[in-house]
Amino acid sequence: MNLKSYLDLAELLDIDTSSREERRAFGLVNIVTKSKPGEQLSAWVRENKIKLNKPALSETFSSTLYSVTLILATIVFILGFLSGVGLLSYNGHEPVNVIYFIAMVVFLPLFTITLTLFSMFRANSSQSMLVHISPAFWMEKILRLLPNKIEDDLKEVKINPLLANWIVIKRSQIIALSFSFGLLLALLGVVATKDIAFAWSTTLSIGPESFHHFLHTLAFPWRDVYPSALPSVELIEQSQYFRLGDKLSDEMIQNASKLGEWWKFLAFATLFYAILLRFVVYLLSQVGLNRAIGRSFLMLDGAKKLLNDMNEPIISTHANENEQQFIQRSTAYDQMIHILDASYDAVQGWAISEENLSVIADSMKVISPKFFEAGGANTLDEDMEIIHHSKGEVLLYVKSWEPPTMDFIDYLEALAKRVDKVVVCPVGTMEDQYETDTREVNVWARKLSMFGSKKVWLRISSAKALGREALNAES
Amino acid sequence: MPSRRQTDFMHPKFAVVGHPNKGKSSIVSALAMDDSVQISDTPGTTTKKRSFPLKVDGEILYELFDTPGFQRARRVLAWLEQHDVSAHKKYEVVQLFINEHKDDPKFNDEIELLEPIMNGAGIIYVVDGSKPYGEEYEAEMEILRWTGQPSMALINHIDESDYSEDWKRALGYYFKMVRTFDPMNTSLEQHVSILESMAQLKEEWTASVKASIKLFEMYHEQMLERSSAVIAKVIYTSVSLVEKLMFHDEDATEDEKNRVEKQYKEKLRMLERSAQKSIEAIWNHDHLQKEQQSLPFDGMDLFSEETASVFGLSRKELLVTATASGAATGAGVDLLFAGSTFLLGAGIGAVIGGAGAFFAFNELSEIKVLGQTLGKRYLEMGPMENKNFPYILLGRTIYHTTQVANRSHAVRGVAEFAMDSTFKEKWLNDDLRKSLERYHKKFRSGKEVEAEELVEYEALIREVLKHLTNV
Repeated sequence: MNLKSYLDLAELLDIDTSSREERRAFGLVNIVTKSKPGEQLSAWVRENKIKLNKPALSETFSSTLYSVTLILATIVFILGFLSGVGLLSYNGHEPVNVIYFIAMVVFLPLFTITLTLFSMFRANSSQSMLVHISPAFWMEKILRLLPNKIEDDLKEVKINPLLANWIVIKRSQIIALSFSFGLLLALLGVVATKDIAFAWSTTLSIGPESFHHFLHTLAFPWRDVYPSALPSVELIEQSQYFRLGDKLSDEMIQNASKLGEWWKFLAFATLFYAILLRFVVYLLSQVGLNRAIGRSFLMLDGAKKLLNDMNEPIISTHANENEQQFIQRSTAYDQMIHILDASYDAVQGWAISEENLSVIADSMKVISPKFFEAGGANTLDEDMEIIHHSKGEVLLYVKSWEPPTMDFIDYLEALAKRVDKVVVCPVGTMEDQYETDTREVNVWARKLSMFGSKKVWLRISSAKALGREALNAES
Repeated sequence: MPSRRQTDFMHPKFAVVGHPNKGKSSIVSALAMDDSVQISDTPGTTTKKRSFPLKVDGEILYELFDTPGFQRARRVLAWLEQHDVSAHKKYEVVQLFINEHKDDPKFNDEIELLEPIMNGAGIIYVVDGSKPYGEEYEAEMEILRWTGQPSMALINHIDESDYSEDWKRALGYYFKMVRTFDPMNTSLEQHVSILESMAQLKEEWTASVKASIKLFEMYHEQMLERSSAVIAKVIYTSVSLVEKLMFHDEDATEDEKNRVEKQYKEKLRMLERSAQKSIEAIWNHDHLQKEQQSLPFDGMDLFSEETASVFGLSRKELLVTATASGAATGAGVDLLFAGSTFLLGAGIGAVIGGAGAFFAFNELSEIKVLGQTLGKRYLEMGPMENKNFPYILLGRTIYHTTQVANRSHAVRGVAEFAMDSTFKEKWLNDDLRKSLERYHKKFRSGKEVEAEELVEYEALIREVLKHLTNV
């Protein structure tokens, strides 16, 4: 996982059109990385990187960032070198005060390292002030000065603030290191080319012993390994410079060769505080950046879904093919009657027993000399027998809740050929007093409209009709 | 066509058969969790058999078949009975019937429903227990008996009347197992119960169907997990949303301020709609039609106080939450000073938090004018400052998710998601409110939220969904 793969993943997630099946197939092939989401995503990026347009945004971003960092680091290196030369400039009249250099190579790094560590703790805040004051932060501003094409490409790069903060922190360490190397080079260069008389001077009343103690503390990392890189009390005494002296003291002149010994201490201080410690912080920032990249991978829009798609089995329950669209026919049937006649030549019931038929007919004040049960448990021959004996007008009761089957239609077709008129009368259950549901009757109407016989009528019941039937019965 | 012996080693298959209009498609729709199946009260809606395989990574665990209803059962039975054969040869006669009538349109429906059975499918015979038993069903059941395939009967209740006792007596004569199932009100428990019955139909099928049961449970967990991820994401995105509008004059006009506010609200609504669509897709309700008025944006706006009282926190609840949250922050200061502040920090925090909540009850987010010194002036609205908003949005999305998750795939028509003012009590208690507030505070702060924190927030939502859904 690195910044490039993060940017590649972000871009791929934007353009990816892979199906869930393809993602799952990838997950199954790379099953060993299932418990390591970062690795799994990186593997996915490697597999799909080919889909990215060339040059990939990550390449553009990385090379731009690299160039800008290199330019900035070079500028800062020169600045560091010039600062070092400035601090160590010796005109032969006045010794070089090591306090300035110590401040530059020890205290300034310690201060900025403290700030860096603090900003590392606050790195997950998108509005971290400490990050904003870093020179690396201003790299973004420099990026805006780049040619338009690159700027347009870089606008596409969306890095989450957590990651952006860590990038700034890491780049800041590179720049600071570059500055420190500039200082070290200046020190070594000046020492090699000039004979410098180092001295120390302060307005504060600090004696050579105290100053030695202070330097002894500062030199703790190397004093045992390189004792000569720690100025002795004697040297400190000899190199103390007072403001009242307008020239070098006799003692200083007598010990001129010893005064130059300070450079070892300054070189080790630079190496340890400005370079080594900074390098450790740089490594910490690298670790922080890597962790931020790992976290940012999962924060990318679509990354979690991608992981789910790769790791969760695809369970599907739906049909493989689409259903043929059913077209609903109109419920209009133009051969409807509302009132039953008082009598019919025959009353038949489709899957309704003769016993029940007479009760239904009685409840509707219909009389008939013949009652037959058709369909139901009858054999086809028995049905044919009933049809054979049918004539005139037939009232055919049907169970309204049972939709008409083709078995019924076959029977109706044969019956209609034999008789003058068939009135199909849907009835509800006995518990509902044979009242029908409109939806159920509509089903019958639709089916009969498909049948299309002039002899077949459908009876639609209504309260009004029932009243008329009662009148019929009375008359 | 594979022989009977060959089909025994294939994955279990089940054909849902029966009289027309008795709810076969509804049952298949509910069991297959597929809302695309055509269901209507017109007989003959299903004209072709349709396979609904349960697949895991492409491997079929079992297969359900939706079939047309019997149309000429008596004719088929009459044909079969012309062949006087012993019981062990009867299925061959059925096969002969299929072979001889394959191209006869008169028996299209019978062929369609008998084919999967003769290919080894178990029989699930569906009847409507809310209508009286009739002798006309016996021809159908007898034909099924001729196939010799393991079978069970499902009593479906389309209406409220109950004739199931008569049905059970009749069905018991023909089928080894008779179960009741309401496809319109399914739960995971009922679903699993039917699958367990199906597993018992044939010994060879038991392992596969039992594996399917485990898988269904896992599938529901998956759906809950995915839903909670969508909900967590929409809350986070909405609360942290920032809308900008550039302007070129010295100061922004009232019209520009209204415009940025309108855009901001519209984006929030769009985010909610998009989350709802995702959740419907997760629960296989892609064809769901909602009554938009019931998820109110016009009469009872997302930002109205009425909405706040139904879905979000009341002013009092909000006050308590904010006060507690403020007190917790202040207590941190007290702790820093080892208690020497005499809990002053907690007190001040509580007052500030409470006052903030009290006065900010109706406010969304301030419209800020930014960039004046840099020359590029723009209006900015967001992140959401209204402390109640996340609860309102969360309440709405949780409500929507539970409705979708609990809706049977057999139900057709427009869904009316009627809001209930008691819903909030079903999911939000004091402890949960405190836990949620911690995350809402972070979402509002504009700070980057880590993946782990979103996962924790999702877990809270998942628990709520688990509690509210029948799964």
